[in-house]
Amino acid sequence: MTGVRRQPALPRWRFTRLRTALAVRYASLFAIAMIAVAIVAQTMIWSHARNSVRAAMTTSGQVYDRLWSLKARALSDSAGVLARDFGFRAAVASADRPTIESALTSLRQRAGVPLAFVVENDGSVIGSGPSSLRRIVGDIALDMPSSQHDAVIAQGAQPWRLVVTPIMAPVQIGSVIFALPLDRQQMQALEGYSAIPLTATVLIRDEGGRWRDPASGTRIPESVMRREPVAIEMPGGRAFALARPLPGPGGAPQTALMLSYPLSAALASYRGLQVGIAIAGILGLLLVIYGSRRIAAQITRPIVALDAAAHALEKGARTEVEVVGGDEIGRLADSFNRMSAGIVEREDRIRHLAFHDTLTGLPNRTFFREQLDLAMLRAARGGQKASVLCLDLDGFKGVNDTLGHPVGDSLLRRVGELLAEQATDGVVSRLGGDEFAIILVGDDPERPRMLAQAIIDRMKAPMLADGHQVATGTSIGIAIGPADGEDADMLLKNADLALYRAKQDGRGVFRFFEPALDAAARRRRQIEMDLRDALANGHFRLVFQPIYDLKNERVGCFESLLRWEHPERGLISPVEFIPVAEETGLIIGIGEWVVHEACRQAVAWPDHIRIAVNVSPIQFRNTGFASIVFQALARSGLAPERLEIEITESVFLEGEGPTLALLHRLRELGVRIALDDFGTGYSSLSYLRSFPFDKIKVDKSFVDAIAQDGSAQAIVKAIVDLAGALHMETTAEGVEQEDQLAILRGQGCSSIQGYLFSKPLAAEQTLEIIGRLARRAA
Amino acid sequence: MLGAMRHFILACLLSLPGIAHAGTVSIEVRGVDGKPLAGAVVQVESARASAPRIGGPYSVAQKDIAFQPRVTIVPAGASVSFPNRDRVRHHVYSFSPAKKFELKLYGHQESHSVTFDRPGVIALGCNIHDSMTGFIIVTGTPFAAQTSAAGRVVFDDVPAGAVTLKVWHPSIRARANILAQAATVGPQGLSTTLALRK
Repeated sequence: MTGVRRQPALPRWRFTRLRTALAVRYASLFAIAMIAVAIVAQTMIWSHARNSVRAAMTTSGQVYDRLWSLKARALSDSAGVLARDFGFRAAVASADRPTIESALTSLRQRAGVPLAFVVENDGSVIGSGPSSLRRIVGDIALDMPSSQHDAVIAQGAQPWRLVVTPIMAPVQIGSVIFALPLDRQQMQALEGYSAIPLTATVLIRDEGGRWRDPASGTRIPESVMRREPVAIEMPGGRAFALARPLPGPGGAPQTALMLSYPLSAALASYRGLQVGIAIAGILGLLLVIYGSRRIAAQITRPIVALDAAAHALEKGARTEVEVVGGDEIGRLADSFNRMSAGIVEREDRIRHLAFHDTLTGLPNRTFFREQLDLAMLRAARGGQKASVLCLDLDGFKGVNDTLGHPVGDSLLRRVGELLAEQATDGVVSRLGGDEFAIILVGDDPERPRMLAQAIIDRMKAPMLADGHQVATGTSIGIAIGPADGEDADMLLKNADLALYRAKQDGRGVFRFFEPALDAAARRRRQIEMDLRDALANGHFRLVFQPIYDLKNERVGCFESLLRWEHPERGLISPVEFIPVAEETGLIIGIGEWVVHEACRQAVAWPDHIRIAVNVSPIQFRNTGFASIVFQALARSGLAPERLEIEITESVFLEGEGPTLALLHRLRELGVRIALDDFGTGYSSLSYLRSFPFDKIKVDKSFVDAIAQDGSAQAIVKAIVDLAGALHMETTAEGVEQEDQLAILRGQGCSSIQGYLFSKPLAAEQTLEIIGRLARRAA
Repeated sequence: MLGAMRHFILACLLSLPGIAHAGTVSIEVRGVDGKPLAGAVVQVESARASAPRIGGPYSVAQKDIAFQPRVTIVPAGASVSFPNRDRVRHHVYSFSPAKKFELKLYGHQESHSVTFDRPGVIALGCNIHDSMTGFIIVTGTPFAAQTSAAGRVVFDDVPAGAVTLKVWHPSIRARANILAQAATVGPQGLSTTLALRK
């Protein structure tokens, strides 16, 4: 499941679990909604609080205004009583200070004001008080417009309310001035009238024209002078504030009355609502997280199961998920199950194909090797023995060639079934071609032998294959581990060697592996290597055995025989190396050399002497053989009729048609063909009919017995007569005694060969024997 | 302070071709608003002027809860009667330094006389009726008169030489509502405009 990877378009949270992703997203959405609600609520609370405070402040402001003017009038009235008093006016007019001061004292007490002054028209101030305040009072009395009676001034950080009343006698001769400190007490008196606990403060304008709270020195922004309450920073925290300037002397206000209300107090009544919203938000959030996790878990449970199943499937396990419901996920699970089943099925099939033979359904070589490894391990652990039986059908190639592949395949299937029936306690495999193998594990030392015998017995009977009764047989090689092989390869190889031996020993038998077999096999391998070396380095040589022409009484032919002079081992018998050369195909190259060499030697001989060359069926199977012969003739310049190719009946075993074709091609070249070893083997007379051989060579076994055995004489006589009738020559092989020669001559044999005349000779001795035998004849 | 800042400005000082020792003094008074100020009392004090002749009889009646006339110019030494022509009683008083007196509660057709022997401005009030105000200008110079509706006053035969011009009006915020200005009367007399400034 690689390849397709989602490319994230944006750098965003990557969740490894869908459940977490859903929970986080839902919770985020809810949190956003709650934040929006909180913002709206907060805005409304703010707005509502401000409206409430504004209404309270506006009302309070109006009340204060009324109180302020009432107070002014009350004070004015008090002062007016004095100012109009005739005696007081007389005292002022006559500058009677003690009288004025005493009058002021009584006025203070009566009106309840802390300070009262009389200011004369020349600016002199009568009455006790702080000197700076007295100065201010003196100036004010003269400067204030006659229409204004009330002013608030700042004496340092202390605001004073001054109420000015003129003294008329009847023109103005001075003023009575009340001074009230606008202190905390005054402010508290004002605050008491408000519906809400407002704080009243008198602000003072400093030299720079900025408003300040004299108590704390805090600067207050100009914005509080608006008609609407505004939120400002106060020493005690944020507060709503509204201020209006108080009339100063001559119009320019020096002070202002500010009403303030702490924000916390304004919002206090909404605290419960805010806490409620917060708690609702948190509870809601928890609920959403919990709920979305639950929902997500429900949604993702089948997905998680699918995920796990897909992982398991990836690792090769066969998995199924539970299908719940008919929704998309249910259908997905269903599809997954089908897909999983399909994959497993295909995998099984692939595995089966990989480890089984399609024809017979038996385990193949690969599986066999694995099973053999396991079997050997199991045997070693259990102290048992692991045996391998290697089987090979005898003559299977012939079945294929003669009856066709369908029959061959059918036969193989049948054999497979048969083996499986016989070896129920073993593993039967087809290693390839007509080769089968059986693994046995057990304690019974007789079991391999009994099984092998049972198989051989069973297969002796013809089998029905594709409608044909096919007679076949089997050879079996047996190797028993661990004695015959420490590992699977060795055991199998040794079983193969045993099979080889069984086939050598005439087929239809079984053979156990013996160490000697292994030695022989090693020897064969050594010979094979040495053969290659010999062919390359010219260690071969030909020897020639004369064939004596009885009609002309002279040497008519030499049979060339191959000798191998091994540099270390000396002379090696063809019996030993020819089978190896045939098995390995080296016979082709060796045979080619033989033909060339024979022709080259024959050229040196008198024209009537032919050269006979033995050709193996392997060479004959090679289609290039005719051209090899042609080249050898062409290169040596030997007349074709002087070359005699000796073949045995076995060339026909590979199929009659191609062999005949090749024989006819050689015949067309002018080469003579001799049938060797006649009388042994099948000696089918049909061969004599199918091809007009030039010569038949009578096997040595007949010649050996000819002097003593009448039947041998009769057979030879029959062969010679038969050859004569077919216009074929005859050569008797292995003639060693004079009486044998006499009988053969009497029977009309064309020529003889044997130690009686000469053993095989080196090339340089041939001319001499030609001369010697010619003289003998003479 | 504001009062101290107020002063006359001699807008124009022209010498008329005067005859030997006396001339006509013509003075125009303008108020704070720049308009001619009617009812102001102008006095020209000259050392060479003779004392004013005492005529009479001088009377300041109380009628309709007011002093009539509101402003009375009398020479020093004159005696002024205060007849009550109202149905109510009055309590006329003066706290002015030039003459302090008190005529306690007198009724209809009652009359009291007060002699004013020192020059100065006497503010008259009624202790019962605060709204009643009146003024008696006691002069030591024969050249004293109220400005006309055009704010003008003219004096003939004012002796040439240094004089002091004094203007009184209730709106003048100074001691006794008087502002003084030195001037010189030339052979041709004096014609000037006195403008009140805030």
